[in-house]
Amino acid sequence: MEFITNAVMEVVNSKTWIEWLITIAKFALCFVPVCYILLLIPMERRGAGFMQDRQGPNRSYIKIPYFGKIRALGYIQNMCDGTKLFFKELHTPTGANKIIYNLAPIIPFALTFLVPCVMPWFGTMTFTFGDSVVSIPGSIIDSDVGVLLLFGISSLSAYGAVLAGWASKSKFAYLGSLRTTAMTVSYEVCQGLCLMGLLLLVGSFNLTDIVNWQEHHVWGIVAQPVAFICFLIATIAETGRAPFDVAEGEPELVAGYHTEYGAMQFGFFYMGEYAHIGICSLLISTLFLGGYAVPFVTTETMQANMGITLTALCGVLAFLALAFLHMIYRYSRKLAASKQSNKAVILQEYKLYKLVAWVATLVFVAGAIASYMFVNPGSTIVNGAPVYGIGVALGTAVIHLLVLLAKSVIFCWVWIWVRWTLPRFRYDHVMHLGWKIILNIALLNLVVTAIIAKLVGGN
Amino acid sequence: MLALVYFIILAVIAVGAALCVLLSKHPLYGALSLIVSMLSLAGIYGLLGSPFIGVVQVMVYAGAIMMLLTFVIMVLNSAKDGNTPRFDKVSLFVFPAVIALAGLLGFALVSVPFGFNAEAVRGSVAFTSSTLFNVEEGSRGYFILFEAIGVLLLSAMAAAILMAKRRIGYTASEKEEN
Repeated sequence: MEFITNAVMEVVNSKTWIEWLITIAKFALCFVPVCYILLLIPMERRGAGFMQDRQGPNRSYIKIPYFGKIRALGYIQNMCDGTKLFFKELHTPTGANKIIYNLAPIIPFALTFLVPCVMPWFGTMTFTFGDSVVSIPGSIIDSDVGVLLLFGISSLSAYGAVLAGWASKSKFAYLGSLRTTAMTVSYEVCQGLCLMGLLLLVGSFNLTDIVNWQEHHVWGIVAQPVAFICFLIATIAETGRAPFDVAEGEPELVAGYHTEYGAMQFGFFYMGEYAHIGICSLLISTLFLGGYAVPFVTTETMQANMGITLTALCGVLAFLALAFLHMIYRYSRKLAASKQSNKAVILQEYKLYKLVAWVATLVFVAGAIASYMFVNPGSTIVNGAPVYGIGVALGTAVIHLLVLLAKSVIFCWVWIWVRWTLPRFRYDHVMHLGWKIILNIALLNLVVTAIIAKLVGGN
Repeated sequence: MLALVYFIILAVIAVGAALCVLLSKHPLYGALSLIVSMLSLAGIYGLLGSPFIGVVQVMVYAGAIMMLLTFVIMVLNSAKDGNTPRFDKVSLFVFPAVIALAGLLGFALVSVPFGFNAEAVRGSVAFTSSTLFNVEEGSRGYFILFEAIGVLLLSAMAAAILMAKRRIGYTASEKEEN
């Protein structure tokens, strides 16, 4: 008994309480991909509607006093769909392998909680606490092999599709899972090779190092434009979305590997796919768009002028709220001029959005003025570099996180944009593209990068 | 101390999954157990202070090679979808070999003192790469050997493609004759 107590106390005493608090709080970031699911499903359905010149699903509503039927721009519809999936019956087809059939949908969904552990969400937090200087890394696991770990974990998620297809005892599902295996293996090679050029320039597998290098040199997209395009294509193929969704091509395979699944088991596949998109967007923005780094400003400058930085942040948020208001006012004007029969109801609904957006604008403007006037933190010099208090460190971390999320949401839109623009490729075309085109370009890119890096005199 | 607890958990999973590979009736179950075994092995590598090897184990073996193996099993076994027998004539040779190997390993493990120190052994990325590729005077580098193995693997792959191509060409010409 004493042995276990000693071992536990040894671990507990290795950090101060504030370090423990932040280290445990960082685990909340594991749920970011799940939040991306909530964001992406409405974004995809309304985005598809936007691309095809229709409204998209937005009819369900919640009724509240005065404002009437609130549809929250289509979000209520998705909540209803989710609830429906949740309460449907779980059905296992006859002849299916029960254990693997029920296990398969969990694999891709469970892995979405593991992948964010190695992602650097913000720069290393360094701050003075009492007499000591505390330093906390921005990722949950600050590993020297971060990128490899990330690829390793996400390569396992394809097993969900493979096992689902095998266990369903259905020819369509089986063919779908065969295609998934072949495609995953071929495009993972491309992904890895595209990345090698960037890793060569940075000289480290650590994701925090990669972002730091980009912050102090140039972004990956500038240093490695060819690799960026190849990586983007390979990653879209890796998530199995159109135009690469041959594994679930409806004209040939009904629905591919999840033909036999219904209810929440299908929901797990669906959510796993969207979480995978979220993770891949985060990954691309980390590797090629500077990750959490704010454009044109280094973290040191930002921390030295914390008040102005917060003012700028509040200003951007206020601008977004005003843009939203502009959109709502334009809709209102158009609606008021039209002959739509339910326009009184919708205009009443818009009143709520206007109220919320005006309040948000006022709050952000007030926040901007207050932070410009009152935020001016002092610093202590440690090892020749200024170190600030916990407030500045937390503020920097929040700004970093917001910047990373903003960058990745742009890439999420690229995924939707591509899906609803391009038709599906034929299976042999996908293989041809992977092995004969992208792989060769990536190899060439690696060789050219190596030669240039040697000539310029990098590492 | 905590590392020892982790090691025991991972070791039990690894050995158990390895036994499952041996005893499972369906080849796909065998492949799945092999994946579990490899993942826990990766954990042990990480515990021994070489996360690089562990991650490569996950990425290359559990991720890519086992995926290919699953592909092959699914393609070959789809027609029959039956169970392969657990024991056949080959296992007459396999089982004594396995038991002998287990005995040898057990003897080796018992005869050396069992000290498990996670801090002692270190195999970081920098250490691994400098051990492999440092070609400076006086250091042990395996650069030439590494390149030679690369060329060997490339030639093996080219040969395999050539053989597969010839077989496909043969069936095509046969069809033409008919």
